[in-house]
Order: sequence, then structure tokens, then C-alpha cells
Amino acid sequence: MRNIARSRWTRVASLAAVGVLALSACSSSDSSSEDTAADETTAEETAAEETAEDTATEETEAEEAASGDEECTELTPASLQLQWFVQAQFAGYYAAKDLGFYEDACIDVEIIEGGVDIVPQTVLAQGGADFALAWVPKALASREQGAGITDIAQVFQRSGTLQVAWADSGIESPADFKGKKIGNWGFGNEYEIFAALGEEGLDPASDVELVQQQFDMVALLNREIDAAEAMTYNEYAMLLEAVNPDTGELYQPEDFNVINYSDYGVGMLQDAIWADEARLGDADYADLAQRFVTASFEGWIYCRDNPQECADILTANGSQLGASHQLWMMNEVNKLIWPSPNGIGIMDPAEWEQTVSISLNSPNLEGATVITEAPADTAYTNQFAEAANAALQADGVDTTGEGFSPIEVTLNEGGA
Amino acid sequence: MSEAWADRLKFIWPPVLVALVFLGAWQALVVVREIEPFLLPAPSLIGQEFFGDISLMWQTAYYTGTTAFLGLVFGTIAGIAMALLAQRFIVVNNLVTPLAAGLAAVPIIALTPILNNMFSITSRTPRVLVTAIIVFFPMLVNIIRGLVQVQPTQLELMRSMNAQPRTVLRVLRVPNAIPFFFTGMKIAAPLAVIAALVAEYFGGPQQGLGSRIASSAANTAYGRAWAYVVAAIITGLVFYLIVVAVERWTTPWTGRTRSA
Repeated sequence: MRNIARSRWTRVASLAAVGVLALSACSSSDSSSEDTAADETTAEETAAEETAEDTATEETEAEEAASGDEECTELTPASLQLQWFVQAQFAGYYAAKDLGFYEDACIDVEIIEGGVDIVPQTVLAQGGADFALAWVPKALASREQGAGITDIAQVFQRSGTLQVAWADSGIESPADFKGKKIGNWGFGNEYEIFAALGEEGLDPASDVELVQQQFDMVALLNREIDAAEAMTYNEYAMLLEAVNPDTGELYQPEDFNVINYSDYGVGMLQDAIWADEARLGDADYADLAQRFVTASFEGWIYCRDNPQECADILTANGSQLGASHQLWMMNEVNKLIWPSPNGIGIMDPAEWEQTVSISLNSPNLEGATVITEAPADTAYTNQFAEAANAALQADGVDTTGEGFSPIEVTLNEGGA
Repeated sequence: MSEAWADRLKFIWPPVLVALVFLGAWQALVVVREIEPFLLPAPSLIGQEFFGDISLMWQTAYYTGTTAFLGLVFGTIAGIAMALLAQRFIVVNNLVTPLAAGLAAVPIIALTPILNNMFSITSRTPRVLVTAIIVFFPMLVNIIRGLVQVQPTQLELMRSMNAQPRTVLRVLRVPNAIPFFFTGMKIAAPLAVIAALVAEYFGGPQQGLGSRIASSAANTAYGRAWAYVVAAIITGLVFYLIVVAVERWTTPWTGRTRSA
């Protein structure tokens, strides 16, 4: 009897152990980052409190420093959480840091690299960073789940998402996706595909075979998938940096059909600077946000006019891919920002509406939409971008880039 | 029968109670402290997501479960075959055991992307292979031990009767290995589900648990992500319980003799 009892208990214990194992295995990727974020929160909160106390007495000086004329006694520390590893997608911020624009604004900016499992906007909401970069739909989803964040600068004015197929594939528009193997990245980067399918009356669950790509273009190059998701500034360049075994030369743009989601009215807003909505009520943080936005814009404007130099800054900061790739990315990112007809970082209400509408109405494979209710008006503000534009224009800086013209970039094998 | 049932209940209610208290405390914490779902979803929200579309949960678990099952079958077959060879030829044993240990130590995150590029990423093949590799090692180690650790007296008896190695294998070694086989299976079965799920993180078809947990988490839909985690736990438990049931049904004597 006792033996049986023991064996039963062993079984119960092993059941529990299995459950715990499964649990920890599944959640490790999310929870580990959350844990570290939470740890950092406390550390940074104390740090922030200390600086708040320090600066309180010197408030007038800090305000004067913001205008840039007066002496800056102590740099305000601030951190920016990126979505991905260091690359020219974030050129404006690295330029502002390395060229001293942040320092001129009396900020000591720490740029935190991202990764596959990093969700910048929740890092921000948990206090792990002072500002974060995020695509608008993903940030709106986090907002609906209680993350109190606000878009304070819509840096990228248009979407850079493409679907790339072989020129001989017969895929020329989203209507041709029917019955094909359509690559996408998942992780919330795939909603333009669902929106485009919806526009064509295709059901993402049954009319196409959706395949999650790895973060390289091998599946398309091996013709395992018929069309791959690609950013103009990154993965599309990777294709053009690969050698065509038939010719021994690099692949050429003529080898591919490129579908730009913006052309089909389903582009969604991407990289924006997000801030902690509740903390914006605090004058010190609002002041920091203003200085950060203005200095970041200076960085982007510099990169518009000096793409080669900015690409070099990125390679010097340890970008994974090489110099020609960074220059290509710099140039393509410039195309997503410039021209900014209303001024850099200012939200185009029509683009916002389109992003919100797709987020509300385009179901994914599981039948879920990005958000279920329209976001509040406080989800974005032009206040900071407008002030930054006004300040920069007062200094005679061109903040719209009306006359912007991209450069020609020659890619080398492997982006070297 | 009813007495056995009552006896069984006595051992079921404590863990159930602990689980309920845990869930209740979790729910209370979220409600009282007003924790936002992006930080910690309440059990009620997870339940709502889970039962809200139970057929989707089933389809998703079925997809990953199929991968896990195929990997478990292939990994087990390979484990049995290799264990038989290793038992028969000491050279194979010396060669295979360290290699298998090395293979078991290769991290899934390194292996999966490589297999994804070697075999078609659009198929289930790379994931089944990853699962089979993960399953292979515990099966191999356990079965080898079962085949080798026979009673010396029994072995001597058979040798004294000039029994052929094949006969020794059939009459002595294989029956001796069966409990070890099930021990291996009890480790390997839930492990197969975990391996199949993790292998989905690296691309490929998107209808499985791993893809959807990752995708939901990236979209800050933690309630939905945890609902899939619940489905994954249930799948792992089902695999385990099936092994236990098969063990009881095929070898009803082993459980008793072992605990006695």
C-alpha cells in the first residue's frame, strides 16, 4: 500500500515537473527579457530619481540648456531601445550620438540594440528605456494591452515593406498570391501581407500557404517559397548581394518582381519614436523628450545630406553587414523619410488612419486583428515634432527635404 | 473498485487544490494590483482566449503534436536500432555513445536553422528531424542499459546451456530492456513536444504552437500566447499519459515489481 502510494506521488510529481518544463521552455524567450527589463527598471528608476533631484535645483539652467544657448552643467542620461541590431535603419540616432548633437542638447544617450525577441515598446512601458522605436501597428497592439505609450515622432513617413518574387514566377501583384507559398517574418511584421490578401478577397488561412521566413533570403533564393517579405533597405539588398550561379555575377533587379505594399494602399506606418505617456506629464521628462526629438532630427537631416558619412558611422559602430550594405540601407531609409512635406517626424493623418483601419480590419491566420478598438487620440502627438521643426527652421535648417534626391549605390557581394 | 477509486481521489485532490489556490492568487494579484495584460495576463483572460476558440487551439496543438509524434517515432526507432547494434558490437558502442551524447548537446537553436536550409523550410521535415535527434539520446541510453544490465546468474545459466547470442537477446535482454524502454519514453515523449514547438521558432509553416506563441507574444497578445502555452502543456501531458497507459497495458507487471 505504501509502495503504491509512493509510486502515485512520484507520478504526480513527474506530471508537475513535465508541466513546469513545458512552461519554462515556452516562456523562456519572453520572460527572460521581461525579467531583465524589470531589473533594469528599478535600477534606472532610482537613477532617474536621483537625477531628477539633482536637476530640480538647476531647473532653470536645464531649460536654458534645452535651447542650446546656455552652458550645460550635467548631461541628462537617456536610453533608446532599438528594434534590431545596429544598422543604418537607425542612422539618425547613431549620427546624433557620434556627432555630438545629443551632447549639444545636454543628453547622454545610451542606444540599446534590439533582437528577435525584444519588444521595444513594452521595454519602454516597463521603464526599461526612456524612449523606444517601434512600428506603429505593433505599438498600438501593446497600447491596447495596457502599455501607456505615445508616438512622439513619426520618423518614417512611408512603409518600406516589399514582397519579392522571381521575375519568371508570374507573381506581379498581390492578386497573384493565390495558391502560392508566401514568405513572411511573423512576429507582428506581417500585417501588410494580410491586408493585401484581404484587399484581393483572399483568405490568408486557405487561399495561400503562408510560410515564416528565417531572417535571410535563402528560402527565396532556393525557390522553396514563391515570394519573400523584404524591406527595401535590408533584405532586398541581401538578394542583390547574392551571386547568381548561372552568370557568376550578382543578381540584378531585373531578376525579381518587386511588389511594394505602399502602391496597393496597404502600407502601414513603421519606425516612430515612442515615449512613456504618463511620464510626459512630468516637465523634466517632457523637456528631455523635446531635446531628444530635436537632436535626433538633426541626426537624420545630417544623414540625408551626408549618406556616405552616416553609413561609415554605422560600420564603425559594428554593423553586422558591411559598408556597401549600410550605404544602400542609408539611402533607402532616406527615401522613407524624405521628403517629409509637413516637416520631419510629423504624422500624416491619412497614413495614420490607413494604419489604424488595417489594424482593426485585417485578420491574420488565426482570425485575430492587430487591435480591436480604435486607439485614443493620445496615441500620437505632433507637439514635439512641430516644436523641433520650428526650432530647426529658425536656425535655417531644411526640415522637409523637398529637394531630396537619392544617390546611386553599388552593392558588393555579401554587402562588403 | 470504488475503494480503489476513492484511494485514487485521495491522491488527486492535493495537487488540484494547490493549482486552484495558485490560479486564484494569480487572478487576485492581477485584479487587486491592476496589472496590465501586457505585463501579466490574468488566468481569466487566458481561459477566455483558450476556450474562446477551442477548435483553433485543437488544430494548432494537432499540428505540433503530429510533428512531435513523427519525431518521437523516428527517434525511437533509431534509438532501438542503434542500441541493439551497440549491445552486440562493442566497437559500435564505443563509437556511438559519445557521438550520441555530442549530438544531444547540440543546441536546437543552432541545429534548426541549418536543417531548415538543408531540407525544405516549407515542409515539416526539418522539425521532425530536430525532434527525432532530441528523442534519440534518452531512448538510446536507456535501452542500452536495459539490454546490458541483465542478471549475471541468468546470463551464466544461458551460456552454460550454450545459448546463441540471438537467443540470449530474445529471451533475456529484450524483456529486461522493456521497463528501461518505457522510462526512456516517459522522458522522450514530453521532450518531443517541446522540441517540435521550439523548432517552429525558426521559420516554416505557421500553424503550430511555437509559431503562434512567438507571434502572439510579438503582438503583445500575451493572453493568447499563454492560451497556446496551456495547449502545449496539455499536449505534453497527453503524450506522457499515453506512454504511461501503453506501459500499463502492455507490461502490467513492470510497474508493480519495480515499486515493490
